[in-house]
Amino acid sequence: MQTVRSGGPDYPRPVVSDPIAGEPLEYLPEQHYDRVTASWRFLLGEDLHYGVFAHGDEELPAATQALTDLMIESGAFAPGLDVLDVGCGTGAPACHLVDRLGVNVLGITTSSAGVELATARAESRGLSASARFERRDGTDNGLGDASFDRAWVLESSHLMRERDRLVAECARVLRPGGRMVLCDLTLQRDLPFMEVRRLRHEFSLLRAVFGDAHMMPLSHYATLAADFGLDVVSEIDLTEATLPTFDRWRANADRNRDDVIALVGERYLDDFVKAADVLEGFWRDGTLGYGLLAAERA
Amino acid sequence: MAPSREEIADIVRKSVGRIKRNREITLETELFGADLAMDSLETAELSAILEDEFGSDPYSEGELPVTVGEIVDFFVDRV
Repeated sequence: MQTVRSGGPDYPRPVVSDPIAGEPLEYLPEQHYDRVTASWRFLLGEDLHYGVFAHGDEELPAATQALTDLMIESGAFAPGLDVLDVGCGTGAPACHLVDRLGVNVLGITTSSAGVELATARAESRGLSASARFERRDGTDNGLGDASFDRAWVLESSHLMRERDRLVAECARVLRPGGRMVLCDLTLQRDLPFMEVRRLRHEFSLLRAVFGDAHMMPLSHYATLAADFGLDVVSEIDLTEATLPTFDRWRANADRNRDDVIALVGERYLDDFVKAADVLEGFWRDGTLGYGLLAAERA
Repeated sequence: MAPSREEIADIVRKSVGRIKRNREITLETELFGADLAMDSLETAELSAILEDEFGSDPYSEGELPVTVGEIVDFFVDRV
């Protein structure tokens, strides 16, 4: 694997046209997350996800909490429910669900680093009895049929190419009346091949910084949900509400510069800031956005 | 002197190998199916690499080769 040396640890950087980086790299989400998870807590905040800004001037933690709250509201949570958290990150939402709502959560992720961090988080908060974490693939989770009341998919679906299998697996493990609630980046318009090619450096940068993401329209998630026996309860476009997130990420990058460089190197930090600019541009020009879907098993 | 089919095939295989590393790449290798499962961004990257190598590429000309051999055929027909 080719790496580029900078002021900190090695950071593989797959930008095909970059004269320094040279060769593109094939990305595996597990390796990507193991490498950058620690730095993302400084850059994206403790919750590791976008924020929903009602007014635009909120701090990022309040906005990320607002997204979590919207997911909770859309999922119609209640104490005692069994929840599958697909792509659980470092366990912050799972611990929040257990602590605040009294549910039982199994968080799954393909990242062994994520499992370790999430488990440590639950232990440190005394939540280990109700918040467990295992290394499993959301598109083939190996869990029993009808074994959960809620499937929680917070910003992880864009890293799973087989989106149909993700939704199928969520539907399969839900009990009758169970609900899948999902939020993620969305594709807001058709992208012809020549436009993808023209924008390949921007997309390559996003892949290098955030992983091998594949966005699709929110309506496509709704179609998949219906295909696998789920009734769509709500579809919410959060593009405008999530836009200030990028400003907060850039501020985090500036504030935590030394910590991030120590973890992943100066080049990654610089690319992260550029990637935030690229994403904001895509948000503003109607290419990408953000959405939330809730669907219930009949 | 125009490159031979074998020389073109070698360049194409190496070009695909820059996108999909550590894979066995033959003329029969499927680009988008089970073999390599290339996505649109990887296809765009391959398109740019092929253009750098040959001065043109099938994907920018509206064609959609689905195997490595079909890419080779595209360039053999033009050289």
